[in-house]
Amino acid sequence: MKSQHILNFILGIYIFIFLSYLFGPLIIMSITAFNSAEFPAVTPWECFSWRWFQEGKIAYDGQHLAGLSTDWRLHDGLIKSLFIGFGVVVLAVPIGMAASIVLTQVHSRLRTIFYSISIMPVLFPGVIIGISTVVLWDRIATIGGEGFIADIGRNGIFLTILGQTCFISTYCFLIFVARLQRFDQTQEEAALDLGASQTQVFFKILIPYLMPAIASAAVIAFLASFENYNTTVFSILSDQTLTTVIASKVRLGISPAISALALVIISLTLIAAITYEIFRRREDKRKKQRQDLLLFEKTQDSRLKIESKKSFKIPKSIFILLFIVIFGILGFNQLVKNGLYGPKCVEAAESAKKSKFSEQLKLLQQNQVNEKDLQGGELGGNKDYGDIFGDPNLFKDFGGFDTD
Amino acid sequence: MNSFFKKNGPLISTYFIIAIVFWLIFLIVIPQLYMLDLSFRPNLPPLLRGGSDDVHTLVHYKHFIFGSESSEDAYNYVDIGVFVNTIFTAILVTIINLCFCYPIAFYMAKVANPNAARLLIVSLIIPFWINELLRSFALRILFAGEGVINNILIGTGLIDSGINFIAMDIALYTGLTYAYILLMIFPLYNALESLDTNQLEAAKDLGSSTFRTHWRIVIPHAKAGIASGCTMVFMLTAGALATPVVLSSPNTYWFTQLIYQWFNMNDNWSRGAAYSILLLSASVIFVLLMMRLFKVKIGEIVR
Repeated sequence: MKSQHILNFILGIYIFIFLSYLFGPLIIMSITAFNSAEFPAVTPWECFSWRWFQEGKIAYDGQHLAGLSTDWRLHDGLIKSLFIGFGVVVLAVPIGMAASIVLTQVHSRLRTIFYSISIMPVLFPGVIIGISTVVLWDRIATIGGEGFIADIGRNGIFLTILGQTCFISTYCFLIFVARLQRFDQTQEEAALDLGASQTQVFFKILIPYLMPAIASAAVIAFLASFENYNTTVFSILSDQTLTTVIASKVRLGISPAISALALVIISLTLIAAITYEIFRRREDKRKKQRQDLLLFEKTQDSRLKIESKKSFKIPKSIFILLFIVIFGILGFNQLVKNGLYGPKCVEAAESAKKSKFSEQLKLLQQNQVNEKDLQGGELGGNKDYGDIFGDPNLFKDFGGFDTD
Repeated sequence: MNSFFKKNGPLISTYFIIAIVFWLIFLIVIPQLYMLDLSFRPNLPPLLRGGSDDVHTLVHYKHFIFGSESSEDAYNYVDIGVFVNTIFTAILVTIINLCFCYPIAFYMAKVANPNAARLLIVSLIIPFWINELLRSFALRILFAGEGVINNILIGTGLIDSGINFIAMDIALYTGLTYAYILLMIFPLYNALESLDTNQLEAAKDLGSSTFRTHWRIVIPHAKAGIASGCTMVFMLTAGALATPVVLSSPNTYWFTQLIYQWFNMNDNWSRGAAYSILLLSASVIFVLLMMRLFKVKIGEIVR
C-alpha cells in the first residue's frame, strides 16, 4: 500500500511537469505580450503596456514594429484565411459524408481499397499535398491556355482550398465513419417500408442522425484549415494567409506583436473550450434527468421519483474566476504603484535606452580618437576607415537621439 | 452499380459519385501521380515542355545521391546528410514522445477518476488548437539568447554566459517533440481505455511486478495505439515545416526546407518533386514497417 502511495506521488509530480511543459511556454509568451520592450522577454521587464495590441512602436533605432491593430498584412491574411476556411468546410464536409456513407454500402475487397485510399492523405506529409496540387494545376493552366482555367489554375486561394480539402476531407470522413458505426439501419428500412423515397430517407433520417457529426466535422475542418501551414505555404503562391504572414514575421525577426496575436488566439480558444465544456455538462445533466423520468414513468415506483429541487447552488467555477480577478487587480495595482504602467513609464524607459545607445556610440567615437592618438599617424586613423564614426550626420536618419 | 442507384435514389447517388470521384481521383490520386511523373523529368522552361527534350530521366535522383556534376565529392553529402538527419531525428522524437506519453495516457485511462481524466483531456487539447507556428514561437522566446531559460540559468549561477540553444539545435528538437505530442497521447489513451482493469488486478494478485504487468499485459493490449501514435508522430515530424522554420539554426536544414528551397527559391519544380517523392517513400516505408512490426492493419493506424 505504501509503495502505491509513493508511486502515485511520483505520477502526480510527473503530470505536473508534463503540464508545465505544455503550458509554460504559452503562459510566458502571453506575459511577454504586455512588456513594452521591443524584444519579447519577461526579463528585463520594462513597462506594462497594451502597445502591441494597438499601434506598436517605432524602435529607438528607427525600426518600425507594427502592433496588432495597425498591421494591414495581418488583417489581409486573416480575411483570406477565413475565406479559405469557409471554402474548405463547404467542400470537405459533403465529401467526407458521401465517402463515409458509401463505405457502409460497399463490401469486402473494394471496401479495403476504398478505405485505404481515403485515409492516405492523412499519412502524406503536408508539404507533398501542397506541391502536388500546385504542379498539377500549373500543368492544367498551361494546357488550358488563356482564360478562366489558366486564371484559377494559378490562383493561390483556389489551390489552397483544393489542397487543404484533400486531407481535411479525411478528417471529416473519419468523424462520419465513427458516427455511422452506431447507426441503426433498420430505421432506413422501416422508412422505406412505410413508403418513403430514398431521397426522403436521406434527408429525413440520415441527415438528422448525422447532424452532430456534421457540426463537429465543420468545426474541425475550419480549425485545421485555419492553422495549416505546411500545405498552404506551397499552394498559396503569391497570396498570403494568416499563417504565412506569421511565418514570414517570425523569420524576419521576432516581435512582441506576435505574442499579442498568440494571446488573442489563446483567449479565443479558452473561451471556446470552456463554452463547449459547459454545454456538454448541461446536455449530460438533461439527458440523465430525462432517463430518470423515463424510468419512473415505466415502473411507477415511488422510490425512483426524484423531487426536483430548485435550490440555487453557486457553481464552483465562480470562485476560480473571482480568485483570478482579485489576483489580477492586486497585481495591476502593484504595477501602477511601482510606476511600471502608463505612458510615463514607457517614456522613461525609452529615454533611458536612447541615452544608453548614444553613450555606447560616444564610447565608440572616443575609441576611434584614442586609436588615432596611439598610432600617431595616417595609418589606422579615421582616414583609413573612410571616417565612419567621425561623420556626425551619419546617424541623423535613425530618428533623432540626443548625441550630446 | 445498379443496386447502388436503387438504394440511394438518383439524386443522392449523383451527389455521392461526384463527391467521391472528385476527391479520390482529382484531389488524391492524380496530383500524386503527376508529381511522380514530374520528378522523372528534367527542369525545362515552360516553352520547351512537351517537346523533344521532355523525356524521362533520373537526373534529380542522381543529384540527390551524387551531387551536382561540378562538385568534387563522390556523393552529395549535404543533401544525404540532411535526409538521414531528418529521418533519424524524427525516429528519435517519436521514441521520446512515446516514453513521455505512456505514463500520462495510462494515468488518464486507468488511474484517474473519469472527471479528472476529462479535465486533463480538455486541458491537453487547448494548446493544440493554437497554431503550430505560434507554439514554436513560444519556445523560441524561451530559448533565445537572452531568453527566459538562459536568464534563469545565469541568475541561479549555474552558467556564466548564455547558451545558444538555437545554434545547438536543442530548441529545434524540443520544438518538434512539443509540436505533435498530443497525437501520441490520444491513440494511446484510446487503446488503454479499452483494457479491462480486472486484468491488471489479476496480474497483481498473481504476484506480477508493476513492470512485468505493463510489459506482458498493458503494452501488448495497447499495440494498435502505439503503432498509430508512432506513425502519426513520425509522419508529422518528418514532414514538419513550421517548427524548423521558426526554431532551426541557420546552418541546420530540415528535409522539407530543402524541398521548399528547390521549389520556391530555385524554381526547380521537378527537383522539388523528386525530393518530395523521397520523403514520401521514407514515410511509406516507415508505415509498412510499423504495420509489420506491430502486426496491425492500416485501418487501425488511422482512426
